[in-house]
Amino acid sequence: MSFLLAASESDFDPQHEFILQEWVGIHLGPLDLSVNKAVAYLWLGGLLTIVLGIWLMRFGLSLRPDRRQTTGEAIYEAVQEQIAESSIPSKALRLWFPYVASLFLFIWILNIVGFVPLPLSDEKFDFFGLQLPTWGIYAATANLSVTLALALITFGATHFEGIRYNGVRRYFKSWIPEGAPKPLLALIVPLEVISQFMRLISLSVRLFANMLAGHMLILVMLGLIFIFSAWWLIPFSVIIGTAIYLFEVGIVVSIQAFVFALLSAIYIGAAIEPEH
Amino acid sequence: MDILLAQTTDAGLADLGKAIAFGVGVGLGAVGAGIGIGTIFGSMIQAVARQPELRGELTGIQWLGFALTEAVVFYALLGGLLAFVLV
Repeated sequence: MSFLLAASESDFDPQHEFILQEWVGIHLGPLDLSVNKAVAYLWLGGLLTIVLGIWLMRFGLSLRPDRRQTTGEAIYEAVQEQIAESSIPSKALRLWFPYVASLFLFIWILNIVGFVPLPLSDEKFDFFGLQLPTWGIYAATANLSVTLALALITFGATHFEGIRYNGVRRYFKSWIPEGAPKPLLALIVPLEVISQFMRLISLSVRLFANMLAGHMLILVMLGLIFIFSAWWLIPFSVIIGTAIYLFEVGIVVSIQAFVFALLSAIYIGAAIEPEH
Repeated sequence: MDILLAQTTDAGLADLGKAIAFGVGVGLGAVGAGIGIGTIFGSMIQAVARQPELRGELTGIQWLGFALTEAVVFYALLGGLLAFVLV
């Protein structure tokens, strides 16, 4: 067994877990649209979101709710009260509540699927002559492209709605705080423009780095055994790794989905009614 | 254990320096975020102790503040990683 440890010691590198290998190569000019592990996780997450939404909230609803309907209504109410109604003005609620709610569900499912071991990894192991993928955990949200795409939708929606409800002039004027002295405008305007783009970065990097760090911590905790080739580390590594896993699944996964949806709602709501 | 014994070549020393810089940088980022998160939860406890009926409204704000503060350490982590990879 120590031979196994020694063999793994040299090629253990945590960041290898996050390198994506092409499964089906699709290249359109400079665009790389290849199917890889992250895309598979996204498809799985999208499918699960749709199935869960339909199963929880779309059929067999009655006045005396069973457990399934109660769960669905609890999620709906939580999103409605905590996220949507407090930040989006009522005139835009019909349009943007569904977006915020599905954003919350989708990110939550992507995050939680990221902590379920699935045989979708790029590495193979030999099972009586069959090359099977190893079971591993990977989250699509631990990929900056995914979170940046989600943040870009919110970013686009924010400015589109801001201009649609207020007109171009009033909307961009609302970025500037009222009563600001004229000489300071040269300082304030660039700052405000930059802060709009900083939202894009902070929104995407928050989710991405949280999920990446969570997976990295578990990986490094278990990897310590192989780095130091020491069996006595196993109880510590496994216990701390499990604690981190439980913390991620229990708290971080939900909070990050909640915060992403809430901030999207706040940004869109603030663009629709800038005076608030 | 030889990972702990830095090789006394220039490349080895540079790697060592980068590793130390990365650790210290992210650690300093974590200090700030730790203070902030402590303040948020401390204030939340005080607020609920004074006015328990506001708990529901405050919970959402609390988690928002928590996530916004916690993100700071990840900016440090990301900046550190970028510096680590690029330099």
